[in-house]
Amino acid sequence: MGDDMITEGMLDMFIFETEQGLENLENICLDSKDNGEFDDDHVNEIFRIMHTIKGASAVMMYQNITTLSHKLEDVFYYIRENQPENIPHAELLDYIFEVSDFISGELEKIKNGMESDGNADDLIEQLDAYLGKIQGNPAGAHAGDKGTQAAPVSVPAEKPHFYIAPVASERSMFYLIDITYSKNTDMANIKAYIAVNALKGIAEDILFTPADIISNPESANVVLEFGFKIALQTTAAADEIMELVNSSASIEQVEINECTSEEFIDFCTDAEAPISSAGEILMEPIEQPTVLIDEQKPETIVLTEEEKDTFAQKAKSEKDTGRKKAPKSPGKRTAVKKGETQSFISVNIKKMDLLMDLIGELVIAQAVVLQNPDLQVPGLDLTNFQKSASQLSKITSELQDAIMAMRMMPLKNTFQKMNRIVYDTSKKLGKDIELEVVGEDTEVDKNIIEHISDPLMHLIRNSVDHGIESNEKRMELGKTEKGKIILEAKNESGQVWISVSDNGKGLKREEILAKAKSNGLLGNRSEKDFTDKEVYNFITLPGFSTKKQVTEYSGRGVGMDVVVKNIQEVGGILDIESEEGKGSIMTMKIPLTLAIIDGMIFSVSGTNFVAATNSVTEFIRIDEQQVIVEPDGEEYVMIRENCYPLIRLNRFYHLEHGKDKMEDGIVIILSHEDRKIAIFVDELIGEQEIVVKPMPNYIKKVRGISGCTQLGDGSISLILDIAGLVTE
Amino acid sequence: MRILIAEDDFASRKFMLKFLSKYGECDVTVDGMEAVDAFLMAMDADMPYDLVCLDIMMPTLDGYQALKAIRDIEKDRGIPEEECSKIIMTTALNEGANVNKAFDLGCVAYAGKPIDQVKFESVLRKLDLIS
Repeated sequence: MGDDMITEGMLDMFIFETEQGLENLENICLDSKDNGEFDDDHVNEIFRIMHTIKGASAVMMYQNITTLSHKLEDVFYYIRENQPENIPHAELLDYIFEVSDFISGELEKIKNGMESDGNADDLIEQLDAYLGKIQGNPAGAHAGDKGTQAAPVSVPAEKPHFYIAPVASERSMFYLIDITYSKNTDMANIKAYIAVNALKGIAEDILFTPADIISNPESANVVLEFGFKIALQTTAAADEIMELVNSSASIEQVEINECTSEEFIDFCTDAEAPISSAGEILMEPIEQPTVLIDEQKPETIVLTEEEKDTFAQKAKSEKDTGRKKAPKSPGKRTAVKKGETQSFISVNIKKMDLLMDLIGELVIAQAVVLQNPDLQVPGLDLTNFQKSASQLSKITSELQDAIMAMRMMPLKNTFQKMNRIVYDTSKKLGKDIELEVVGEDTEVDKNIIEHISDPLMHLIRNSVDHGIESNEKRMELGKTEKGKIILEAKNESGQVWISVSDNGKGLKREEILAKAKSNGLLGNRSEKDFTDKEVYNFITLPGFSTKKQVTEYSGRGVGMDVVVKNIQEVGGILDIESEEGKGSIMTMKIPLTLAIIDGMIFSVSGTNFVAATNSVTEFIRIDEQQVIVEPDGEEYVMIRENCYPLIRLNRFYHLEHGKDKMEDGIVIILSHEDRKIAIFVDELIGEQEIVVKPMPNYIKKVRGISGCTQLGDGSISLILDIAGLVTE
Repeated sequence: MRILIAEDDFASRKFMLKFLSKYGECDVTVDGMEAVDAFLMAMDADMPYDLVCLDIMMPTLDGYQALKAIRDIEKDRGIPEEECSKIIMTTALNEGANVNKAFDLGCVAYAGKPIDQVKFESVLRKLDLIS
């Protein structure tokens, strides 16, 4: 769980479980929205989810959530038991979403430490009316009551449980305090107790070893020898604690260290076990005194088993030491988690990033070793070296794959959210739209997921709002098929492509051009010169919207530029294809990973450059005649009837002594999206995995350079920004 | 209403006593063992407690053990479930595992410290202990 979540265990669990329940609920609803009804499994599942939420919120004393979920449970109870025909499905879905939204809203409040004060009465009334309707009884409220009374019959009678959350206090801290008394102190145990006593005023929770300081005078020696250790949970600051503790002259040293709640609990568990008089009671296996909801049972059994073990262990340690035991309560966390989650650990993303960086460095270091100039001595027998070298390369590349895989997450969750957006937006706009999701199991880097969620939402909304015509309009146009949006993800040449396509009206080239013209974006090029792509790209400029009317969802002309900015942040591009009257396809093309790429290395008058291998389309040696020089000095090359703009890197970067004759060097054709350019370089050096490093801050942005990297021989190489060069 | 409070910490004890005194006659014990003794005594005198508030971290016998012991005693004497004392745990241990464990052992409510008096009262109301 994230750092920003409240630390209160019980509340955390409630929120986590309820959120999961709601997520399931939404998915079920969206799955079934086209079927026009819920099947039996769905009804049961929804009933179960609402039942769980009802129970949990009652325990947590969130009355509003309890009543609301109870009401929805009633509705589903009726549906389950009586299987009424022809229930208005869409209406029901709306209610479910409203309930889910209400509860999410309340959860959000609770998470932020506020009171859950939302009022669900209206919604409950509506649900009552709805229940009345499906019961065929127009006197809604009355029928609803009947439902309420009927419901508990099927539910196993539960004992009421209440959990009273502590009043919100400042975030408490955990400290481990270590007090050392000078060796000649009398009654160190009493002094220690005084310190503990002083702390009790500020303590939310306090534990100490040795624990028997009052009852056992011998403990004075233990305190003198090993020091006195206190674990303290408090909202007070360290210096306040110091002041309270450090009041006795015989104290030699006080150490106060902040610790995490886990360490605090460890301290509790490490402290000695409960007193012997309770031993017999403890040894008895704990029965199952409470009636529980079915699905919780297995978990509870596991829990009690564990409890037994722990108690048995305690009893054992008690025999072993034979000492008087301190009272304590086992503060175990592990039992909370369900079986399947125990095999997961959550890791701070920063640590993952660090690991990623280190592996990047490792790849460089490996290249430095394996291509070390010292190995270039002629006649050196490197057979064994090469063997171990290839083994090393294999391991590092596996290591890279492993870390990449670790950061990968399926797009499923992100895509599921879109489902809801399409549903909501299309409903509001009165359009009949279905969403098809393809390739939701495609995995991408977690970082990228975070960056694409917003842009994706924009694109989807745009499609629903602007792309797809209203039902009437479609009818008019003779479009028989339903409005449809396809959300697709796939892996394509080291990139992930996420596309949103619709069968709506598409982009209007003329309209966009007209708008661009009025905004003065066309410059002095003629309208015909613009490719469709270029025209469509206008809509990604800030403040550009051809839509005259602003709707709630889109049309303000912000949006597309934000989308593009977001995508560019993760090194991706937005590709727009469209056909007027048929629909458009917006594709986000995002590199799978940002850090390590395959690069082609070449040199120009002693300077090394790298270009990403997947953008290199061919190498070709040409002669001077194939170069066409325009009057303004721009050069083009003709290769097999295709004309490419030519950039001579040595002139471009003002490098002296580069090869000038076409016959001496080599031309590389690079492509970016659909555009290609030719660059002229001195010679090719090789292909290698390179670790992309940003340009250092003290260098201003250089044209055509996106970063740099270190090569095997330790030299620096510049990475060409092909997108930048292409648009030059 | 008769109330038993078991709490080792002086400040908390005083708070609970003050807070609950307005609802009935409160007896106070300082550890779990004493609480169980008091519970037995009250039962023998045929004046069982309606409400028992147990701290969890207490010397001699902790809250869980006391809770278990009380429930065992009740069971042993064949007291029907609806007549059993209502037991509320009052503690700073708010881990889900602790809470569930206490529920499994048969407490009716679990109050995290610092205690939310409003909610505490509303629980008492729900339990029909106060009106």
